[in-house]
Amino acid sequence: MGDPPVMVFKDVVKVYPLPSGDVTALDGVSFKVDRGEFISIMGPSGSGKSTLLNLMGCLDTPTSGDIYISGIRTGDMSDKELTELRRDRIGFIFQYFNLFPLLNIIENVTFPMMLKSQKEVDPEKGRAALRLVQLDDSLFTHTPTEISGGQQQRVAVARALINDPDILLCDEPTGNLDSKTGAGIMELMSELNRKGTTIIMVTHDPNIAKYSRRTILIADGRIVE
Amino acid sequence: MIFWEIAKRNLRIHLLRSTLAMLGIVIGVVAIASMGILGNTLVLSVSDSLHTVGDSVIVSPYTGGGSGFRQGGGVGSTSLKITDQQYQQIKRAVAPNIAIPVLQTSDIMKLGVGSDTIVAPIYGLNPDDVPNLMKLKAGSYSRSDSGILVGSTFATDHNVNVGSRISIGTDGDKGTLRVTGIIEERGISFDISTDSAVVVTQNWFDTTYNRIDYDTVVVKVDQGVDSAVVKTTIEKQMNKRDKVVSVMDSKATLATIFTAFGAITTFVTAIGGISMIVAGVSIFNIMMMSVSERIKEIGIMRSIGTQKREVMSMFIYEAAILGVIGSVIGGVLSIIAGYGVSALLLNTTKYLFVWSSAIPIIEGVCFGIIISLACGVYPAWKAANLIPIEAMRHE
Repeated sequence: MGDPPVMVFKDVVKVYPLPSGDVTALDGVSFKVDRGEFISIMGPSGSGKSTLLNLMGCLDTPTSGDIYISGIRTGDMSDKELTELRRDRIGFIFQYFNLFPLLNIIENVTFPMMLKSQKEVDPEKGRAALRLVQLDDSLFTHTPTEISGGQQQRVAVARALINDPDILLCDEPTGNLDSKTGAGIMELMSELNRKGTTIIMVTHDPNIAKYSRRTILIADGRIVE
Repeated sequence: MIFWEIAKRNLRIHLLRSTLAMLGIVIGVVAIASMGILGNTLVLSVSDSLHTVGDSVIVSPYTGGGSGFRQGGGVGSTSLKITDQQYQQIKRAVAPNIAIPVLQTSDIMKLGVGSDTIVAPIYGLNPDDVPNLMKLKAGSYSRSDSGILVGSTFATDHNVNVGSRISIGTDGDKGTLRVTGIIEERGISFDISTDSAVVVTQNWFDTTYNRIDYDTVVVKVDQGVDSAVVKTTIEKQMNKRDKVVSVMDSKATLATIFTAFGAITTFVTAIGGISMIVAGVSIFNIMMMSVSERIKEIGIMRSIGTQKREVMSMFIYEAAILGVIGSVIGGVLSIIAGYGVSALLLNTTKYLFVWSSAIPIIEGVCFGIIISLACGVYPAWKAANLIPIEAMRHE
């Protein structure tokens, strides 16, 4: 028997109750993601991509249906358990990099490690992760504001990978970069995927989606392809 | 300890507002501690002045009734008196404690040829009782009717020494007495105030002023005896049918005075506490600002696996740093402020470096830290309970 899927959605529904009436953002979404996949999620604005990403990242809970991360059902988990799940099994990469301005590059990268170990960590592990994303050693002690957008996104990738997550969730990872820098980041993602990292990426850019090996197209809260 | 580091760095990059918030705590601690020091100094100062009379029960005629008392003689004296018979009753009732009858008047006196005449209180005491009531700083107790003791202030003010002569009465018609001793300063007292007075023998007083009744009876309560019991004994004995004497327990009176001083100290310290509350509001304000400015950062932290308690700790650390540094600086400055206030208002700083003066400083510092932490709790709780998705969307 092989590894269980790293992520399973079973008939997931997400409804936002609003004063003007309920809005169904996801309507019976089911899919699974196997280890080592590189999936892009595409769809027009308002189709439910962000809602799907939030549910995959355990940042939100479904109205109905079940979500499994690495075989663990998330529906009955407490906030503490979900936080631990995000910390240990999911890596996040955001469009706007979202590094911590008060910490230098090494500290940003090792931050999730410190959360996990609850003590000081070996900065050499951070350096190794930064070298993996091809960031120059001379930048390690700089603050995020002192480096370029592309370099910041590489740091964000290193931070997302530092705890060896089961899944890398990327929200428009090249959305705030020029095309050349964006291509460099996507090459990096492809390389990571080739080494075994499971990647799920939300994008509206078909050129970026080409880097993935499977595309989930979503419209009106339903998977259409 | 990454959250401790983040807290420190956040305060450092907002140095001005952090310093201002800290300044509020400094002022609050100084206000509380220096008021506490002032109150403590006041209590110690009064306690020092009064502790020698804390073992007395003073019996005086009841001025509201008056039956059973004769009108006394003496210059200008029209008050009620305690008869010798009543004195004997008091003496028996309080034995083995010593009951000392006191005669009192005031008269004109001249301190030497060519000097001005003055008017001063005169106490008449049995020579055997004098050592029980007062100590001398110079000379000796006199058993002779021709001897006189003078109070320390009296001696200083009028340049009187042992051996000086004092003529009493207009043109010295009541006699001239020789100073045999100078009484040690007694300060404020409930029984007799000798600092600016003179003390003669009871015999001379009786003969000169034709007095046989007493103004007061001072009962010196032995160590280990409850003065309240002595007071009750006298009242039961003397005020059986009518109230003929008033009895004052100096220890109880002292306790009342100290209670009053304690209340005053608490009141002024509470006023100082208002500034601490204001400082706390300032801390609360900058902590709320800090949370508002970092909502997105908190959202990111939560999304990548930071627990609520860790977010909370980060803001509590900020409040703690402000509180501890501000309070410690305030504590140090309050010693200086306490020194200044004591020197200025009480003309003494000798009570500053005693343990009881350290207590208001410790209380002020602790209060500063507690207020800072308390004012940091709600902003920290608010930060910790932000919904990660909403926090990340915040711009």
